[in-house]
Amino acid sequence: MGEKKISGAEALLFSLNAEGVDTLFGYPGGTIIPLYDALYVHADKMRHILTRHEQGAIHAAQGFARASGRTGVCIATSGPGATNLLTGIADAMIDSTPVVCITAQVPVNALGTDFFQEADIISMTSPVTKWNYQVTTAAEIAPAIARAFFLAGTGRPGPVVIDVTKNALVEMLDGFEYEKCKELRCYNDHPVVDTDALERAVELLNGAERPLIIFGQGIKLSGAEKQLRELSERGNIPMASTVLGLSAVPSDHPNFVGMVGMHGNVAPNRMTQQADVILAVGMRFSDRVTGKIGEYARQARLIHVDIDASELGRIITPEIAILGDAAEALAAMKRTIEARDRAAWFATAAEQHAIEYREVISKDLKPTKERVTMGEVIDGVARATGGDAIVVTDVGQHQMEAARYSRFARTRSLITSGGLGTMGYGLPAAIGAKIALPNRQVVLFCGDGGLQMTIQELGTILEWKVGVKIVLLNNSFLGMVRQWQQLFFERRYSSTPMTNPDFQKIADAYEMPHRRVERREDLAPAIEEMLSTPGAYFLEVKVDEEDCVFPMIPGGAALNDIMFNESL
Amino acid sequence: MENNREYIISAFTENHPGILFRVASVFLRRKINIESFKVSDSPVRGISLFTIVVEIDESMARVLVQQINRIVGVLKSNYYTAEGRLSQEVALFKVRKAILRGDTFEQISRKHPLRLLQMNGGASRTGNNDGYLVLRKSGYKEEIDALRDELKERGLLMELSRSGSIILHRETVEETMDGIL
Ligand SMILES: Cc1ncc(C[n+]2csc(CCOP(=O)(O)OP(=O)(O)O)c2C)c(N)n1
Repeated sequence: MGEKKISGAEALLFSLNAEGVDTLFGYPGGTIIPLYDALYVHADKMRHILTRHEQGAIHAAQGFARASGRTGVCIATSGPGATNLLTGIADAMIDSTPVVCITAQVPVNALGTDFFQEADIISMTSPVTKWNYQVTTAAEIAPAIARAFFLAGTGRPGPVVIDVTKNALVEMLDGFEYEKCKELRCYNDHPVVDTDALERAVELLNGAERPLIIFGQGIKLSGAEKQLRELSERGNIPMASTVLGLSAVPSDHPNFVGMVGMHGNVAPNRMTQQADVILAVGMRFSDRVTGKIGEYARQARLIHVDIDASELGRIITPEIAILGDAAEALAAMKRTIEARDRAAWFATAAEQHAIEYREVISKDLKPTKERVTMGEVIDGVARATGGDAIVVTDVGQHQMEAARYSRFARTRSLITSGGLGTMGYGLPAAIGAKIALPNRQVVLFCGDGGLQMTIQELGTILEWKVGVKIVLLNNSFLGMVRQWQQLFFERRYSSTPMTNPDFQKIADAYEMPHRRVERREDLAPAIEEMLSTPGAYFLEVKVDEEDCVFPMIPGGAALNDIMFNESL
Repeated sequence: MENNREYIISAFTENHPGILFRVASVFLRRKINIESFKVSDSPVRGISLFTIVVEIDESMARVLVQQINRIVGVLKSNYYTAEGRLSQEVALFKVRKAILRGDTFEQISRKHPLRLLQMNGGASRTGNNDGYLVLRKSGYKEEIDALRDELKERGLLMELSRSGSIILHRETVEETMDGIL
């Protein structure tokens, strides 16, 4: 790029450009000023979204990545700026989200001196990053960024932290060259799928009376949506999803039997226990999915496909472990899969679904009581959007209800904190999703607790006119914790009731159109108004204070032990 | 817990900063106490060899090795029981000069083949008896333990420094990392 001298900070920006990055989420500070200076000079090359807290920056980068499939990028200053990213980094690690975090660091000769705003972010983030690296010279910046993007986005994606000392940002370089990283000898981004194992897997499936495919987010990460559908259709095999897998298959697909896990659907949970062969793809047998592990899927012969070798056999030892990319493995299996008549097995799904409808869904969606339920609101939004919106959630009861009652027509349409269950994730993640895909409708469901954990990001919406639709399901409680206290601690509501501010006034202060709904008859028109109003909107719905999410498999119980209501 | 035994976990890694921290974290995260932990050069330039000894059961050994293999920068990790490998230790013993009284030294060295490295260490010129000898012994961990116990029982042991397990792989580094290097 010519002979002109450039600073390390400029090299950093140009490196990001070379990786196709045009948007950063971040927050400035003393140590990182040189980078912000380069952003000012090169404003035409990079958009910087100033969030109101670094946690907001990383969750926005996560939402951006989850919606678009592109690596999200956030930047923060040294010390507190960097430590404020930690929760999001841990969240991205456990949910395999590709993000690159760039943190500034004190000058190299001040390292280890407790310099002003020095925090050992490399040590702190090592257990929660896929890779991290401290850059101490300007010359290292471009190769480090190249590795960061290669590692964050390939294989099983995850967060990478690049910590850049201030001297490296200000040092001058003779010109700029960038070479993308395509391989590292100490990292295998694309394991070769074992064709032998694939053959044995198909044989197992072809011989199965009651096979079940359980898929996770790996389908979206691999781009294996089509391959999954084709395998299921050709083999006539029912498929169930984990929370993070939702939307990889359209909710109305005839072979889709619902969501597994603690608050999952009855049919797939029961079918897990009855299946004779289970094909698990891109999922990791989380405790929230398996319940009591010793009782899980006892009748099933298990095939596990994952691109992360450390997941194979970590929780359950499969009969057939297939290391590799989901799309490749499923495409190969499709070739020899045989269709079998499985009418009786599909009938099981329908029967179990009828039970769930009678015991739970009808009460959630067509309640006879006065107070509105969370299910009604989520179902109302799903109807009004035709399942076409990107649904973002925070963490708690509303999250599980949103997973249960949203409908999805397109992939990557549910963005939620799964493995870490991070309250405060929702609002910034919705901002990131909307910024990544401005033409999609983005609807956030959040609780009154979680909203207040990152509520400052309403300022980001105001400044950048981010058209996020916020649906606050206000029960004046930390609902999910209260549910556990209600069910398992004899209603001793310790520190879960909340005295809340007037959220309408807050929305007003941030110049956001808003409305509060308390009566059922006002709900549908309010949703209509929210969706048809251009730009952001704040819809608060007062829901019943003591509703619980059912069905529920209590923590540590076997999948068979489903609670349908409080008394069971 | 009941099936716990000594496992040797080895890992060939890039010689980069931060990898030691990540490898150690795999054990810390599960509160597994490390008996010995050694990092040294491998025959290949730029590649380090980690040798870690822990008391665990086999399923834990498998999981730990999977987690270590997952670290970016690790080329290959494996686990072995001590029998499966040629695993040795080297130890230096500082012993009291009194070992030279009578035939004690002959008795001990016949039982525990060893090498006398240094006579008269620290002996003062005034000729009093506070000098010591340095012995070197190499062998299996149990052999080192046996010499230590004997010297201790006889009140002769002053200090001991041991290397921790050093292992020789049956395969060469190139074979172990077939297809990676
Ligand atoms: C950062 C963080 N702190 C605490 C928790 C524990 N927790 C899980 S759900 C929940 C209650 C959430 O309440 P609210 O946001 O009002 O949503 P609701 O459950 O009522 O829908 C809490 C406190 C958490 N998941 N994350």
